[in-house]
Order: sequence, then C-alpha cells, then structure tokens
Amino acid sequence: MRCAARWRAAEVATGQRVEDGNEPGAPPDARRKVALLANCLLNQNAKVCQGAHYPGQVTPVVEALRSRGYLLQQLPCPELAFAGVRRWWAVYEQYDTPAYRAHCRRLAQAIAPLIERYVRRGDEVILIGLDGSPSTGVRFTSSRPDWGGRPNRPEDDWEVVPRRGIWIEELEAELARRGLPPVPATGWAFDMGRFDEAGSRRDLEAFLDGREIGAGSRDDESAAP
Amino acid sequence: MSGDARGWRVALVPDTLINSPNRIDAALPDALRVLETSGYGVLQLPPPGGHRLLLAVIADQVAEYAHHGYAVVAIGVRGEPGDGLHWRHLAALLRRRGVALLPPRHLVNANVDAAAEEQRLAAFLAGYDLPAEEQRHWRV
Repeated sequence: MRCAARWRAAEVATGQRVEDGNEPGAPPDARRKVALLANCLLNQNAKVCQGAHYPGQVTPVVEALRSRGYLLQQLPCPELAFAGVRRWWAVYEQYDTPAYRAHCRRLAQAIAPLIERYVRRGDEVILIGLDGSPSTGVRFTSSRPDWGGRPNRPEDDWEVVPRRGIWIEELEAELARRGLPPVPATGWAFDMGRFDEAGSRRDLEAFLDGREIGAGSRDDESAAP
Repeated sequence: MSGDARGWRVALVPDTLINSPNRIDAALPDALRVLETSGYGVLQLPPPGGHRLLLAVIADQVAEYAHHGYAVVAIGVRGEPGDGLHWRHLAALLRRRGVALLPPRHLVNANVDAAAEEQRLAAFLAGYDLPAEEQRHWRV
C-alpha cells in the first residue's frame, strides 16, 4: 500500500514515536488501525431534525470497526457547532461560505494534532464520513444551487453529486498543510435519500475487508470523486 | 420530530474508555456497548494532554445540547487525571458558555469486576433524564 509506505516514511523522517494507547495485547510499537469517524456515527443527536436513524451510536458502523480491531477517533460536528441543533436542512452550496469554511478550518486545527500523532506513529488511519452530507460527505454530497430563502422545499428535491462535503474538504486540506498523506476514506450512505442499512453495511465491510486483503499491494482506495 | 430516532441523551466519554488498552482483559467495563444498549450518543474526550482548542469545540457542542432539551452526562474513570474528562477545564468552558447545570458525573472503577461496573453504569444511564416538563417542551 503506497499510503502506508509513505506514512512509515513520514515517521522515519520526523523520528517521532508515540508509545501510549496501544491496542490490547499488542507490543508497544505495533502499528494500530484507527478510524476517524463522522461525529454522528457515534452520536445521532448531532443529526439535523428528522435525520437520526438510531438513538445514539450507529451500531453497524461501530460493530464493523471494533470487530476488526479499529481504535475510534470521533471528529467534531461542524454543522451542530455552527448552526445549532435546530438548524434547517441545507445543501453544499448553502454552507459554501467563507465564514463556514473558516469555522471548519478551526475544527480541523482542533482535531488535526490527534490525527497527526496517529499518522506519525505509523498507524493505519482511515476516515468514515457520511455520504450525501453537505459537510461530511466523502464520495457524495448534496447539491441544489437554488436552495435558499423560506424553507418550504418539497421533500428530497436536492441532488446527490460526487464530491466531498465542505468539512471533509477543509479537514483534508489541513492534514495536507501538515505534510500528511491522504487518508483512505469512505462514507456511510446516510444522507443519500432513502437510507438502506443492509446495503450501507455491505459497502462499509467491503471497504474495510478490501483494505485487509489488499494490504501491501494497493494504492490509496479513497473513492475521491 | 416525526420519523426521527434520536435518543436525546448524550454522554461525554474519555478516550481511554473508548480505546482502552485494557478493555480486552476486562480491567475496564465496555462502556461503548453499555451506552449503545442504553440509547446514548457519545462525545469522545481526547486523551490526556493539552487539546485546548478541541476542548473548546467540544464545549460548544455540549452547550448547544444543554440549551435545547438534551440530557448530557459525563462518564469518568476514577483515578485518571481529570477523571479522563479534562473535568476542571471542561467545567470552566461550560460555565463560560452559560451551562448552569454541569453534566452529572458517573465514575467507573478500573481493575475491579468489569461486569459489575457495567451494571452500575447501565443503572446510572437508565436513571437519568431531564424532568418530564422539559422533555415535553423540547422533544416534539
């Protein structure tokens, strides 16, 4: 995996080692697996009104990761901290403002030191976002250039387009500014219209198990649009 | 909020309880599993260290929940600095954000009977929520 090789190179280049928090039973310098998680995958209360499919954690995601030995690192929710728990639904274009991007950059600067520590240590870091989200989409985001004004849109009249959400764009930019390689990423297909849990689970497990099978031979499988 | 499954309850959880190096040998309870069964969402606190900006970001989120009808609790680890929650710093940040009632804390014990600790945690989680009147006000 080219990405892993680059991470190890980065570790050698900086000479930084972090010895705490190892996986159970692993030797102190063992390479660990770490999943960066969209905030609402551990906390559905962060979702926009009518967007929560579980009381708390998104169980199939947490189970899939823990059963494969991943450590979990929750990301902040940029929408909740910016527009609040009672925010309106919105699309990519509505959040694509200088103020919201500056807010996302602040959040990225808050969480990046933890991510950098994992990467510099040589851990395998992946990102699970939220496909269809205007902020946290990885493979897809929601788009509707004419949304705005009085919030009386008919249901589901936005489009899903192959693009990162704004928060993921800004987070990846912050990691790049720190000289870190791209993090392999996928999205849990929550905000794509009709939510298909079984399909989303198969999709996520294929991503995770594809990484296991392909370790050592694959390129960055980040499904960048 | 028809068609919405949120549980309206959120727990602040130390990194060490989520990614414990000791969880497999049962030195700590499996807090994530208990929280899932109890229907709580999780806000993960960073491991020990500075993380001042991240704590401020987390405090922003907690204040938002606290001001809008969500029940917020904190699960600490007895004996960890700041209970694993950066508690003194976090409490000051929450007060500055107008959170009048700090989240009630439940401390789990390490290196004792993990199953018993899980039961104790589950009982705490089941027993806490906002007063019914506040729930009716917000959770429609």
